[in-house]
Amino acid sequence: MSQNDFNAVLRDSLRQEVSEAAAGLVGLEERIVAELGERRPQLRISDWLRQLLAPTRGGRIGQLSLVGATATICLLIGFFVANQVGLTDSTPGIRLTPTHASDGNQEVLFVLPALDAADVSVVGSFNAWEPTALSDEDNDGIWMASIPLPPGRYEYAFVIDGRWWGQDPLADEYVQSFGEYSSVRYVGGGDGA
Amino acid sequence: MSRSPMTCRAALAVLTLALLGNAVAGQVPMSEYERALLAIPVSSTERFVAAIELGMSQADFPAAEVLQLIDRLAATPDSGPEKEALLLHVVAALEEGLPVDGLVTKGLEGLARGIPVAQIEQSLHQRLVLLAETRDLLYAKGIFSVAPGSPQSVPTALPTPRFNLLVTHISDTIADYLEGGGSPFEGQTLYQEVRFRLTSLEGATLVSEDVDLVLKRIEPADLTRVALSAVT
Repeated sequence: MSQNDFNAVLRDSLRQEVSEAAAGLVGLEERIVAELGERRPQLRISDWLRQLLAPTRGGRIGQLSLVGATATICLLIGFFVANQVGLTDSTPGIRLTPTHASDGNQEVLFVLPALDAADVSVVGSFNAWEPTALSDEDNDGIWMASIPLPPGRYEYAFVIDGRWWGQDPLADEYVQSFGEYSSVRYVGGGDGA
Repeated sequence: MSRSPMTCRAALAVLTLALLGNAVAGQVPMSEYERALLAIPVSSTERFVAAIELGMSQADFPAAEVLQLIDRLAATPDSGPEKEALLLHVVAALEEGLPVDGLVTKGLEGLARGIPVAQIEQSLHQRLVLLAETRDLLYAKGIFSVAPGSPQSVPTALPTPRFNLLVTHISDTIADYLEGGGSPFEGQTLYQEVRFRLTSLEGATLVSEDVDLVLKRIEPADLTRVALSAVT
């Protein structure tokens, strides 16, 4: 056998071996996955939580931040949805937007959280700056009063145990008056109402 | 001597009508003002009474609030001349035919906050100047007031209550802006403040056409001129 013939036989046998090996590789991934089957570990919620809170190279802060961020996103979505469906307005007894009365007046709710206060009232241009008492019937520290007002612009402030507080978070705007803040509500009408 | 039932019924009807008339007009008997003024006391009760009578001829005169202001002022420990000086701003506004609602409310607020009368008087002085200047600005822009029911000679002649509301809100906005430390030279900011106030009340107490008319005719530079008049 000449050197050339020997080389040809060797090449053919190598080709055959390679093609047989390649045929064995077809569907290898599927076969492995099928063989593993039920033996794959199932990640349960408890395992996921344990994994989430497990110490990492960055410590637990990173993981906890993730939890905090998730909670914040959920809260924001909740607030957005509540706002869209008017949840706050439909809650019995808590109506933050003015409601119309038959005489043209609107019931305007004044609300102030004052946990340790003994006496809370509201004074403003609608009551000639004479106190109208807010009540906290269930003693939860949330003081409220619903006052019927005709359409208009009203400046006001809360008086908490004799101290004036003119920055109501529900106000439409604030003005400075005699060096102190007053809150402003627009009842009825355009943009600010 | 016994009166007939008919006479009694007639007297009762007249009394009821008189009381109803007072209540509908929202007016306070003049004797109440005179009593309150005596407690200040003021140097010329006649001038004050005449001004209040003038005010009562306006539909938007805040009768009860004016009486409250005089009563509460009388109860403060400040000096008589200071109290009279404060009230004179309200009187001057009434004599000029200007709306006094804003002045009275600000006076009541100052007293409720326990502000010294002299300081309240300064604030009212500034607001009085702004009221007059704002009215003059609207006149200069061709926006006038006519008594309700009078024939409207030009489309820009508004019934007095509507005109007065515009004057009150524009001048109050400028006064609040200055009191909050704003510069009178920032006309554009002032204009935005006035615009916000007027559009917020559009459809509530202000008529949309009136708001549009004012916002089209006044310019930031006009408001700067009005604001400067109160600080110079």
